[in-house]
Amino acid sequence: MMKKGKRFEWGYLLLIPGIGYILLFIIMSTYVMIMQSLGYYNYTGESGFSLQFWGEVFDQQFLDSLLYSLKIGIGSSMISIVICYPFVLILQKTKGKRILLSIMKTPMFIPALVGSFLIINIIDYHGIVNELLVFLRIIEEPLRLRNDKYGIGVLMIQVWKNVPFQMLIMSSAIESIRKDVVDAARNLGANIFSIIRHIILPLTLPSALIAVTLVFIGTFNDFAVSNTAGPLYPNSLSSLMLRNANVFGEWNLSACIGTMMMITTILLVSIYTLIAKRLEKLD
Amino acid sequence: MATSVSVNNVVKKFGNVTVLKGISFHIEPGEFVTLLGPSGCGKTTILRIIAGFLDPEEGQVLFNDKVVNNVKPNKRNTAMCFQSYALFPNKTVYENIRFGLRMRKVPSDEQRQRVENAIAMVNLTGLGDRKPYELSGGQQQRVALARAIVVNPDILLFDEPLSNLDAKLRERVRMEIREVQKAMGITTIYVTHDQAEALSISDNVIAMSNGTIVQKASPRAIYDYPSTEFVADHIGAANIIPAEMGSAKGDFVEVNTPIGCLYANNFHHIKDQKIALCIRPEDLHPVLKKERMENMNIITGKIRNAIYMGNQLDLFFLVNDYLIRASVPKDYIIEEGATIDFAIPRDKVLVVGCEK
Ligand SMILES: Nc1ncnc2c1ncn2[C@@H]1O[C@H](COP(=O)(O)OP(=O)(O)OP(=O)(O)O)[C@@H](O)[C@H]1O
Ligand SMILES: [Mg+2]
Repeated sequence: MMKKGKRFEWGYLLLIPGIGYILLFIIMSTYVMIMQSLGYYNYTGESGFSLQFWGEVFDQQFLDSLLYSLKIGIGSSMISIVICYPFVLILQKTKGKRILLSIMKTPMFIPALVGSFLIINIIDYHGIVNELLVFLRIIEEPLRLRNDKYGIGVLMIQVWKNVPFQMLIMSSAIESIRKDVVDAARNLGANIFSIIRHIILPLTLPSALIAVTLVFIGTFNDFAVSNTAGPLYPNSLSSLMLRNANVFGEWNLSACIGTMMMITTILLVSIYTLIAKRLEKLD
Repeated sequence: MATSVSVNNVVKKFGNVTVLKGISFHIEPGEFVTLLGPSGCGKTTILRIIAGFLDPEEGQVLFNDKVVNNVKPNKRNTAMCFQSYALFPNKTVYENIRFGLRMRKVPSDEQRQRVENAIAMVNLTGLGDRKPYELSGGQQQRVALARAIVVNPDILLFDEPLSNLDAKLRERVRMEIREVQKAMGITTIYVTHDQAEALSISDNVIAMSNGTIVQKASPRAIYDYPSTEFVADHIGAANIIPAEMGSAKGDFVEVNTPIGCLYANNFHHIKDQKIALCIRPEDLHPVLKKERMENMNIITGKIRNAIYMGNQLDLFFLVNDYLIRASVPKDYIIEEGATIDFAIPRDKVLVVGCEK
């Protein structure tokens, strides 16, 4: 028994690479960021506790950016999952599903910036979409999809980029539902809609939550796509943060924005989780 | 209105393996039929074809003489109890059992009543709120059973529904199944490995081997008159003795075997085929005092093992190096090493066909 206890203690050493990494890069850097927002760790000038930056950070520009980022984050994660579900369900029944899936995965391997430019070419003022719509006389004037006020271009790019990612998660979730469970439902008289409603949706909900959350985190905090295809004002919190730090040298303000991004993310992820738990109970 | 089921020449292939090689049988409305056969012979595959989950490559399935090959599984009004249980992992026991009633839009008062009856029938009272992963294997199996029975389908398909229950519970639930089935007149196809179960529960037994049907008969007939060596060997215990057909002698045929020349009953009129003899162990009667015997075969052997089984005594003895088993009433006191004559009624020595 004694021996067993001892070996167990040594075993903890194996955790050092993981825990050390978490401590050093995640907890430390988060700590530094939060402290910076409170006036510590200044690179130049004095360091010391101050609430001045928190007083300054909540201006109109910040609120506009927060709203914009929330819209992009919630919008793209939700639109993606809504598109993703039927896609994956249909794909399950399609011949050559593996090939189709791997083709659809390609956007995941294209860097966000490159993807952004690719899509911009399509939705630009004189891009294919607009030319086609005008040619078909559906619209008189080309639409302004790129750098438009509402960030529709950004949403389109994010959805394009994230649907495949969610499909990856969702198709493995749906595949992991045992076939005879679906058969049992059919056998008891369930049609395809009842099966989706009673079996597939509830069983894939946890995966869907992960898919939505991951996409939300990515798109809420996105920088590259918003900067290339997003509106000139307001822009994402990430750009605001970068501008404050790089252009104005306001590191403490940036830290405040960073902290707010983190808090918002945690808050929203918690809300998602709560909703999902409720939905699960509902069934 | 009970439903008849016909399966006509059904062929099923997985890839290039033919799993069902032209299966045909007919089941009368309200009949209880058991499929019996070794693992992998295609029993589950037949049930899945009848339920509509699998499409046969050839042949037809008919309910009440109507071809249902193109009818979707959810429109066939069959209820299957899966070998793998296939419970809905996200639903409670109660909701699992209620599912079929919900799909059939049964009024909710009636739903509650029927679900509760079903839960009581399979001894799961008090476990209605559990999720499947909170149940033991046998409990899960009973949920699967209740879920199928509760919907009162036209056709019940059971795939080894009691395999995980202990002997007592199995016997009780088996009787309940039979009662419900009879009362409702539901046509039932029941798969089992357990030959005692097959004989005790069914109107007819279908013996399967390797994707074909070997024999369909009543429990009594299939036990007393198996048509092949395979059936004889798989249903009940049997001495199978290789044999060669000799000439007919009255109601019987003369047959040459390693244990001597015997008179046998050629019930199935087998000819031009490799044959064997089937002798049930309980049909060998020890001859303790000389008596006159009519229509008896006599064989003599030296007892190697006498095994007391409680309800009977099992004797193993050699005749010309051929090991024979006899089951005799438990009151006999027979020592190992004794040489004993056994009488076998001629009509109980059955000529059976051999597989190629
Ligand atoms: N989806 C499948 N793909 C390929 N082969 C299959 C498939 N399903 C079953 N088989 C094969 O078909 C044969 C019959 O299978 P089936 O499940 O009907 O056997 P079974 O009689 O029910 O056996 P058991 O008593 O073990 O349940 C087996 O040899 C099995 O390997
Ligand atoms: Mg099976």
